[in-house]
Amino acid sequence: MGLAQNIVFGLVTGSYIAIAAIGFTLIYGIVNMINFAYGEYVTVGALVGVLAAGALPLPLPVAALVAMVGGGIASLVLARAFFTPINHTGPVPMLLTSIGLGLALRNAIRLTAGQGSRYFDTETTTFRFDGLPDLSVGSVDLLGGVFVTSEHLIVIGSAVAVFVILHALLTRTDVGIAMRAMGDDEDLARVRGIDTQMIRDSVWVLAGVLAGLAGVLIGIQTSVSSTTGFSHILQILSAAILGGAGSPYGAIAGSYVIGLVVALSVAFLPTGMTGLSTAMAFLILIVVLLVKPSGIAGQEVREA
Amino acid sequence: MSLLHVSSLDAGYGDLKVLSDIDLDVDSGEYVAIVGPNGAGKSTAMKSVFGLADRMAGSITFAGTDITHLPPEEVIHEGLSYVPQTENVFPSLTVEENLRLGAYILDEVPEERRQAVFDRFPILADRLDMDAGTLSGGQQQMLAMGCALMLDPDLLLLDEPSAGLAPDLVDEMFDRVDAVNEAGTAVLMVEQNAKEALRRCDRGYVLAQGENRYEGSGDDLLGDDEVRKQFLGG
Repeated sequence: MGLAQNIVFGLVTGSYIAIAAIGFTLIYGIVNMINFAYGEYVTVGALVGVLAAGALPLPLPVAALVAMVGGGIASLVLARAFFTPINHTGPVPMLLTSIGLGLALRNAIRLTAGQGSRYFDTETTTFRFDGLPDLSVGSVDLLGGVFVTSEHLIVIGSAVAVFVILHALLTRTDVGIAMRAMGDDEDLARVRGIDTQMIRDSVWVLAGVLAGLAGVLIGIQTSVSSTTGFSHILQILSAAILGGAGSPYGAIAGSYVIGLVVALSVAFLPTGMTGLSTAMAFLILIVVLLVKPSGIAGQEVREA
Repeated sequence: MSLLHVSSLDAGYGDLKVLSDIDLDVDSGEYVAIVGPNGAGKSTAMKSVFGLADRMAGSITFAGTDITHLPPEEVIHEGLSYVPQTENVFPSLTVEENLRLGAYILDEVPEERRQAVFDRFPILADRLDMDAGTLSGGQQQMLAMGCALMLDPDLLLLDEPSAGLAPDLVDEMFDRVDAVNEAGTAVLMVEQNAKEALRRCDRGYVLAQGENRYEGSGDDLLGDDEVRKQFLGG
């Protein structure tokens, strides 16, 4: 496989990571906590989606909507039960709570849904573009034939739709502008009459909806199990930090960087070193943070 | 009956009591200044009126309504607006979005108020799409005041509006406050620049160590030997 094909894979990975990373970074920026249980929200979404699509059965777009609603409800209920009551204690107790909650959720899901993998039963159409010539440099083919599946297109298309809708939400609606305002300054938001708890609840719902969609898209690409979300949480976290924690636009950029680096390192690292592809994402993260500690789209690091 | 009536107020933050037994009154359309040394509790007095400091004893009423225990997001509905000393705009939001949030509690942004803010601060109309964080200190102060005026409040609380401004802008800023007051809005202003504040206001309070020390018309306080010696540098 050539470079062009791996770029396609990277864009697909970047797309579903981006949808989840936006949710993760909104929680970070507005609720002011790192939510390590967020991977489990993705898993819940994937499971709800795969059950809706398989057991009921519902067509995929409807199943995805059900997963998004399920993710939103789960996120709000969990926030109300575990995070809202300790909101005043600050970021560190909330981070620790989320690690514990993630562990508990992961095992609860494993006990109820089982160890095995489930699959979305989708019909795949493959579009091949074999006309492209090879352009070999040493062992690396810089061009080569490309194929794109209908699943690839669903994932990338969903991500683009999310970006457009989210941008409209954050810049055109009162709730969206209030979310950004709270990320800047919670006290001033209250002075303006913004009900900060209502905004936090909205962020939880939005983040859960995004996790639900990301879960379904990951499920379409691979499979659904009790660790579907957990196995992606470090990539989601890296993408959010890489982009500048709290910035949804930065999270999008960070996600595609991570997606492309992982895909390309799988392809072009010598055989036997491909296990390092996830580590490559962290290497990029470290390098970027050394050069620009606030991340790609981050503002100056504010003093505590 | 006064518009704002603060009676025997104790306030502070957590276990720290900053104010004890404070009395303050502002009448409709009146311009009142609070002056005093650093750490006197001037800003805390203002924050307790707006629900941002912990109120421990006493009472605060506004236009006859008891607001002693209201949080800021409810105080704003009563007809008073507050301009904090620093961090009084949302830096990553545009000027336009900041003004929109100034009228957040209304169903829609009232166009005539927006226009009135632009008439008062024309520079804002030219900067609508810029992030507020990129504005100069003076422009941010204007935006902060503009946001507060979007609700056409009965009382405007200003916390050190001259702080951080270049000296040649300070006079201009005081002129703007005068203009807001002359248009009928009552003003309660905390000011470090005590002489200028007392010269301009109708009435003033001198606060020190969290307690009322002196109260009177601006001119009387400026003419009082004790006040001059202790608080105005002779």
